[in-house]
Amino acid sequence: MKKMEALIADDEEPLRRYLKAMLCEVWPELVICGEARNGREALEFISKHQPEIVFLDIRMPGLGGMEVARKITGACRVVFVTAYDEYAVEAFEKGAVDYLLKPVTRERLEKTVKRLQQQISTRSQPSLDATERVERLLADLANRRSPNYLRWVRVQHKDGVRLIPVEEVCFFQASEKYTLVVTKGSESLIRKTIKELAGELDPG
Amino acid sequence: MVTSERAISGKRIPKVLAITIGFNTLIAIFLTYIGYGQGFSLNFIFSQSIGLFICACVLFGEYFFQSRSPARNALLIAAAIITGTVAGSFLASALTGIPLSLMWQGEPISLLQLLFLGLLFGSIITYFFSSREKIAQAQALIQEERIKRLSLEKEGLETRLQLLQAQVEPHFLFNSLSNILSLLDTDAGRGKEMLADLIRYLRASLSRTRGKTATLEQEMELIRAYMNIYKVRMGDRLRYRIEIPDHLKARPFPPMLIQPLVENAIRHGLEPKIEGGEISIMAQENEDYLRLAVSDTGIGLDEKTPAGIGLSNIRERLQTLFNGRGRLILEENIPSGLNAILEIPNEKNGSPHRG
Repeated sequence: MKKMEALIADDEEPLRRYLKAMLCEVWPELVICGEARNGREALEFISKHQPEIVFLDIRMPGLGGMEVARKITGACRVVFVTAYDEYAVEAFEKGAVDYLLKPVTRERLEKTVKRLQQQISTRSQPSLDATERVERLLADLANRRSPNYLRWVRVQHKDGVRLIPVEEVCFFQASEKYTLVVTKGSESLIRKTIKELAGELDPG
Repeated sequence: MVTSERAISGKRIPKVLAITIGFNTLIAIFLTYIGYGQGFSLNFIFSQSIGLFICACVLFGEYFFQSRSPARNALLIAAAIITGTVAGSFLASALTGIPLSLMWQGEPISLLQLLFLGLLFGSIITYFFSSREKIAQAQALIQEERIKRLSLEKEGLETRLQLLQAQVEPHFLFNSLSNILSLLDTDAGRGKEMLADLIRYLRASLSRTRGKTATLEQEMELIRAYMNIYKVRMGDRLRYRIEIPDHLKARPFPPMLIQPLVENAIRHGLEPKIEGGEISIMAQENEDYLRLAVSDTGIGLDEKTPAGIGLSNIRERLQTLFNGRGRLILEENIPSGLNAILEIPNEKNGSPHRG
């Protein structure tokens, strides 16, 4: 029988090493066939080696763990790992996708391993059900984050491009193809019509 | 202000009337006792109608003509007392059937004497009411002050808590602890170093949130501990350098302005960037300003990234500390990343405006 294989994806090297060492103790038969330092590496590795299990850190440069999980849509069993993400933890608890909190304790990891072994022995496929759950989680998270309004105005200044927070702007004044941005201490022209701006600003 | 005073004076009218009637009765008893006038019932009717008229005139004047000048108010009250006495005498004469012409000649009660008595007692009673009101106002003021002080204290505590939470963000704390835990097995020496840095950082943060001021060099020690922690976590994806000229190191610097900028540079600039980058912190001064720049080569700021609490917090604190003379400027770094520049007034010679 082919040995069970797993990938660990985390941008912090000591944490990858730690999880690997602990998995070796708790589940000696498991082969850690690879490590990834970011989401993109994880995706590449998964498509090449198709491990049975992936441990995904939520916060990774480039592509986060959630996005990776969505892209692999049920190709492996996913265990999320996170230090502290109030939204995610709450969402996981609802969604019942397995997750680990850093620092990972031995007891908690044993539970996860048992759960994984059970799933695998009943030969259930990494279900589309789980994928759906991830989709729901992502949608939920996106909802919680504020909508995409303009927060900063980029303004040309003698030293370079300055970023002015929208709250600091006293008013915008239309001036043909440009708009005058007036703050307490400064005035600047930007190359945007007031109509374009109006569409991007938070109406609230 | 005016409307609330009117509302109050509307509410207190029944009480004022009752007290006035009481005073009037006392005056009648007193006058009868000293043998003035012709018996209690006559004195009672006169004193009630004059007293109540005075009271009505004073309330009326207060309601419609009250001004801020005390002299004008005194004049107003005097006029109200005189008007009230005259009108009250007319009423009493009608009620008792004693013609005014008789009273004018001093029979059985002299009008002039009534005017004198009205002014005397009217002033005393008005004085009584106004001092009562003043005491009530003073008490209200004390109460207001106390509420203001308490809410200020509460605000101060909340700010401190917010600052502390910002500095010891849970994600940072748990991630750092996990790293230390993992290093203790594999590289105990580095694990201990990291733990020492974390302790240094926490201790410094805690003392800053208690409002202790620090020098620029002490602030940099906190920043170094913070960056070292991140350096273990991010490995060679994070490089940093700090360049503070020696003569600026002992300069006092407001606490907790730099750390949020460094945190921003790491969390939103370098951490999300696959290849990482560099953070540099540099200080300079000129005649007017001490300039401290935190520059990173990270992914920079998207126009739609929500401005974090950290940055608006810095702006607010600069406003309260330097009253508009300190500022935070954000610029795009070339070729990538962000420059965050703090400018605070240079007060090394105790004179913020020189030249």
